[in-house]
Amino acid sequence: MPSMLNYCISLLIVLLPLCATGQSESVNSRSRDTVVSSQKYGLRIGADLSRLVLSYIDEDYTGFELVGDYRITQKLYIAVELGNEERTQTEDLDGIPLYRFTTSGSYLKAGVDVNTYTNWFGMQNAISFGGRYAFASFSQTLGDYNIFESNRFFNPSFLPGAEPGEEFSGLNASWLELVAGIKVELFTNLYVGMSARLGFLVTNTEADRFPNLWIPGFNKVTDDSNFGVGYNYSLSYLIPIYKKSRNKREKRYN
Amino acid sequence: MKTLRSSCLIALLLVCLASCEKDDICVDGDTPLLVIGFFDVQDPDEAKVVPSLRVKEVLLDEVVNTIEDRSSTLDSIGIPLRIDASSTSFAFITNSDDDPITGEETGDIDILTISYQTREVFISRACGFVVHYDALNVTLPGNPNWIQDAQIIQPTVENSNAIHVKLLH
Repeated sequence: MPSMLNYCISLLIVLLPLCATGQSESVNSRSRDTVVSSQKYGLRIGADLSRLVLSYIDEDYTGFELVGDYRITQKLYIAVELGNEERTQTEDLDGIPLYRFTTSGSYLKAGVDVNTYTNWFGMQNAISFGGRYAFASFSQTLGDYNIFESNRFFNPSFLPGAEPGEEFSGLNASWLELVAGIKVELFTNLYVGMSARLGFLVTNTEADRFPNLWIPGFNKVTDDSNFGVGYNYSLSYLIPIYKKSRNKREKRYN
Repeated sequence: MKTLRSSCLIALLLVCLASCEKDDICVDGDTPLLVIGFFDVQDPDEAKVVPSLRVKEVLLDEVVNTIEDRSSTLDSIGIPLRIDASSTSFAFITNSDDDPITGEETGDIDILTISYQTREVFISRACGFVVHYDALNVTLPGNPNWIQDAQIIQPTVENSNAIHVKLLH
C-alpha cells in the first residue's frame, strides 16, 4: 500500500526533529521571568491538506475535511471535523479483479483535545491527545465483480457476477476515535498540524449482500476487527476572540 | 520534554498498528463442490465404494478433475457444478475401462442431472463473491444401470464438508 508508506515516511520526517528538541533542562536560568505571558483564545478553523492533495493526484478519490477547534481552558479544546469522501477501490487476487466498489458519504467527528505541551514564552504550539465520537452516513455501489471459484473445470477464469452496479444506500456507522496530534504556529495565527487516529467501530449498519468495507472518515474496515486508522495534515487559522494569562501554577517551568 | 518523547512513541506505535494490516489472502471460502456419497442399497447407512469409478460431465464430455479417475477406493466424491446454469449432468460410470480394441467405454453408465438455484454470497474482503446452491434436486435415468436411488441429504450447498447427496447402489 504505497499511500501508507508515504504516510509513515512523512510522519517520521515530521516527528524526528521534535525528538532533537529534548534539551529543555539547560534553559532553567531563564525561568524566573516576570513577564506575563498571555494566551490567545479563539476559534481555529482550517482544512485537511492530505485529502485535497489526494483528490488531485488519485483519480479514484475525492474528498475534503474541514477542521475546527475552540479553546476552553489553558489545555482543553473542543474539536470538530467535518468531511465528505468518495473512494473507488478494486480488490484482486493475483492480478485477477474480484470486485470493484465505490463508497461515498459524509462524516462528522466531535470531541476534545488536551494540549500536553508546555510552551516556551510566546509560543503557541501543541502536542495534543484527544477523543472523538464520529458518525458517518454513506452509500456503497458494487461495480463489476467476478465469482471466486478455485476449481477451473468449467471456466478457465472467474465468471462475472449477475448484478453489477447495485447501490446499497442508507448505510451508517459510528465510532470512537483516539487522536494524537501536533500543531505548530507557522506565522501569526496560522497553524499546520498533523494527527494520527485510531478508531474503534461502535455501530455499523450494512447491507445484507455487501458489507461495509470502507467508511468515510474511518477508512478501511478489516475483517474480524473493529479498529481503523486514519490521519490528517491540517492548515488552520486562529480567529482570536480574547486573551487570558496563564495561571500561576502552569506558568512555572520545570 | 517527557510528553514530547511519549507522544513520539505513541505516534510511532500508531504507524506500526496501521502497517500491520491483515494479509489479503483468500482463506475464508470458495464456491463449494457438490459432495456425493455412495451407499449400499441393502443397508442405506453403510458407505459402499464404487469399483473403478469415472465421472464425466456430459456437455464438456470430460472426466471431472476433482477426483482420482477410475479409482476403486472412493465412497464419496466432490464434483463442481456449473455456476452459469441451473443444472449440470454427469455420467457416473462404474467398472470403467476401455475396450482394448475399439477404445470404447465398457463400464456401466448412468447419467444423472443435478438441478439447483445459484445464489451469490459475499464471503470476505479477500475472497469476494462465491456461489452457493439452493433447492438441490437429482434426476435419475428411467432405467438405471447401477444406481438404484438418489437421496438429497442437504438441499443447500454452502460448503464441501459433508455429504449433500446419497447415491444408493
